[in-house]
Amino acid sequence: MGDFAAWLAGTSLSNTIAENLWVIPFVQSVHIVALAVAFVSLLLIVLRIWGWAGQDISLTATTDRFAPWLWGAFAVLALTGIVMVIGEPARELISFSFWAKMVLIAIGVAAVFSFQRHLARHKATWEGTLVAQSSTKVLAGLTLLVWIGIIFMGRLIAWDAQIWGSLSPQSIP
Amino acid sequence: MDLYAIAQAIENSAVGITVRDSLYLLPIINVFHVIAIALVFGTISVVDLRLLGVPSNSRSLKAISHDLLKWTWLGFGLAVVTGSLMVAANATTFYSNNEFRLKLVALAAAGVNMVIFELLTARNAHLWDKDVPVPFAGKLAGALSLIFWISVIFLGRWIGYTKGFNFDVPVDVDFDALF
Repeated sequence: MGDFAAWLAGTSLSNTIAENLWVIPFVQSVHIVALAVAFVSLLLIVLRIWGWAGQDISLTATTDRFAPWLWGAFAVLALTGIVMVIGEPARELISFSFWAKMVLIAIGVAAVFSFQRHLARHKATWEGTLVAQSSTKVLAGLTLLVWIGIIFMGRLIAWDAQIWGSLSPQSIP
Repeated sequence: MDLYAIAQAIENSAVGITVRDSLYLLPIINVFHVIAIALVFGTISVVDLRLLGVPSNSRSLKAISHDLLKWTWLGFGLAVVTGSLMVAANATTFYSNNEFRLKLVALAAAGVNMVIFELLTARNAHLWDKDVPVPFAGKLAGALSLIFWISVIFLGRWIGYTKGFNFDVPVDVDFDALF
């Protein structure tokens, strides 16, 4: 990974991003706007599963409303994230927080994806369900926790060695 | 007592010193600030877009507001607490930072826009609660709210790059020594 980060840091695209000082803060700002949209889209689906919101519409209607925004925002997050990695390869790729975040993203995406597939297969059942089973509620809560963890790890990339100590590849032994 | 002296006093208070000197507090406070932003902007954007008719006018505005506003205020409270702690740790730096001042202006603008909407525009909101396009004043409030809050986010991020002590500068890593 060190070799890859070093190679990436040497590319002209990486240098262009690094030389134009506004690019990283701009892309980070877009990243924050998109994470807000993604997080609240997921939150509202979870709240509907818990029966805490959207009681006037079905779970299917709630998911139809917010899942496209969740995935649309996710695409923006991936794109802006890639720009950040290209612009600052060492900061991102050589950090514990970044890779912990990637693992959590894999889990979080798989969870939402399989939930949507389940929902599509049992559309009729869910259409008439006002309150979900408690096992579904727990799974929804865990999924939300994973996505909160993604935000945690994303912000902590800025203080990797400070927070994680020897776990961080940036820490000086 | 002028504002700068107040900023100095805050910076030298027990809270300011504790946050500034801790290894872990500022990063953790930052994490919760981002989660707070997600709650505030995420929920407000849903209401703003609904005012603009996105994705449609088919769901009751009252029901949407009822579901969301408690989370908006929870997030806003968390953002104010975490934000104040960040300011307290380096109050004089924030005081003289232009992006921070502009962020406060953008926050005030978002607040004024909200008050005008609540007091004037929403007085007859029951007439356009569902399946009816929102009147122009309501759409304008929604559009302005989106612009003000996105400005708050951008200016907030910019503080980190202009406040003089940059925590976000990438750590210099010696590739050869690492792997």
